[in-house]
Amino acid sequence: MTTTVPRQTALEIAGFVEQVRTHLGDLTEEEREELTGGLEADLADQLADGAVWSDLGDARSYAAELRQAAGLPAAPRRLPRPVVPTASHVEAALDRCRSAVDRVVQADGWTRGAWSVLVELRPVWWVARAWIAVTLLDVVAGPYEPVSVVPSLVNPLLGPVLLAAAVLGSVLVGLGRVWPGSGPDRPIARRVVLVVLNVLAILAPVWMQISMPGYVVGYYDDGYDDYGAGYAEGRASVGPGLHLGQKRVTNVFAYGPGGKPIPAVQLFDQDGQPLAQSAEASTGRGAERRAPCPAYNGATPLFNVFPLDQVALRRGTCEPETKGRTTPTPPLAEVPPLETTRSGAGG
Amino acid sequence: MDTTQLLKGVLDLAVLAVVAEEDGYGYDVLRRLRAGGLVEVGDASVYGTLRRLYAAGALTSYVVPSDEGPHRKYYGITPAGRDQLEAQTKDWTTFTETVTDLLRPARPDRRDHRQPAVPEGARP
Repeated sequence: MTTTVPRQTALEIAGFVEQVRTHLGDLTEEEREELTGGLEADLADQLADGAVWSDLGDARSYAAELRQAAGLPAAPRRLPRPVVPTASHVEAALDRCRSAVDRVVQADGWTRGAWSVLVELRPVWWVARAWIAVTLLDVVAGPYEPVSVVPSLVNPLLGPVLLAAAVLGSVLVGLGRVWPGSGPDRPIARRVVLVVLNVLAILAPVWMQISMPGYVVGYYDDGYDDYGAGYAEGRASVGPGLHLGQKRVTNVFAYGPGGKPIPAVQLFDQDGQPLAQSAEASTGRGAERRAPCPAYNGATPLFNVFPLDQVALRRGTCEPETKGRTTPTPPLAEVPPLETTRSGAGG
Repeated sequence: MDTTQLLKGVLDLAVLAVVAEEDGYGYDVLRRLRAGGLVEVGDASVYGTLRRLYAAGALTSYVVPSDEGPHRKYYGITPAGRDQLEAQTKDWTTFTETVTDLLRPARPDRRDHRQPAVPEGARP
């Protein structure tokens, strides 16, 4: 007979058995295992058969009853001494974690399905942890650089070579061909090493994420030229195009001294560079997406002529042959006229 | 009368008898004991007794993995366990007969214990 109890109950049972085991802490691991081996299944059946938690009582008296019936000495008076984890404890803990995960995974059809997919995806993790390891080295080793797909390291050749070696090593470890190997049937030291390495690989990206922005903001805010494209990538959340502070400027409307909209102005910055909108500076998504359309001087697109036309495009940028471009309506039909123009003020 | 005290003395025998009938895991043994009339028996007592009998060599144990949940630990009886069951069954039968015989004279009239016991029939 197999009995399935709700997963929550299964976890509660596992917790109860764990507590009972704690109260048997003065016994040897073998005695404890003899007393509590199969206990989870028994309790699951009892509960499924209509017993309630209160029938079980507390873990301490349950352990005492087990002990007495088994003819083992009663628990020592003193509190169970803090158990110094030995290799067998650690191994048992790992085994329990593993079986707990197995139980949760096997509890439902859909979790079984999802798990089987995850198992198939293990190679992705093997590659990812290799990349994380090399990237971590990259981050720790040198001055700040943007995180790149292929870690750059000191020498342009070193990054790709190291990454390839790390991926190979990680995959071999995953396949169990290389120390420390993979899977439960190995010496405890090797299992612990693998667990520690994997946990580090999971935590490392979090650490990199936390440590980098402060680093960047603190020292390199003005380093645009030095850190070039990578830095722009780092600022990717701001997006391409014109910005006023953090806010995107999607279009610009110019008004003359009389307060009337000017149909077209060409804008340049202090260096004479076109103050141009990016062709990619679209707004909205799907049917609501609007892409900026440039003015043309011959065949040359000019994205610094404002206001820019717009076109509804689901994807891509506005091209010369793109149909349906519209001139946006100015947000204000008119603004207050200037009482004195600049030339007037100067004169 | 507090039957739990009595139970302690015979739990080994009852558990051996149940397992001798058919291998069983902890809760299975408990259920069969309760179904047999020992409704007061505590689960931890039964599980502990199984362990003690196992440690003493009267039972053997094996684990049966389950697809649906935690593994079950089954117990079966060993030849030593059968010997023990046989010997204890004899002891039990003798003991209960003795006690029954001792109690028999009081039966006709329990309400008056001062009345001298009158032996019934031939006693050995």
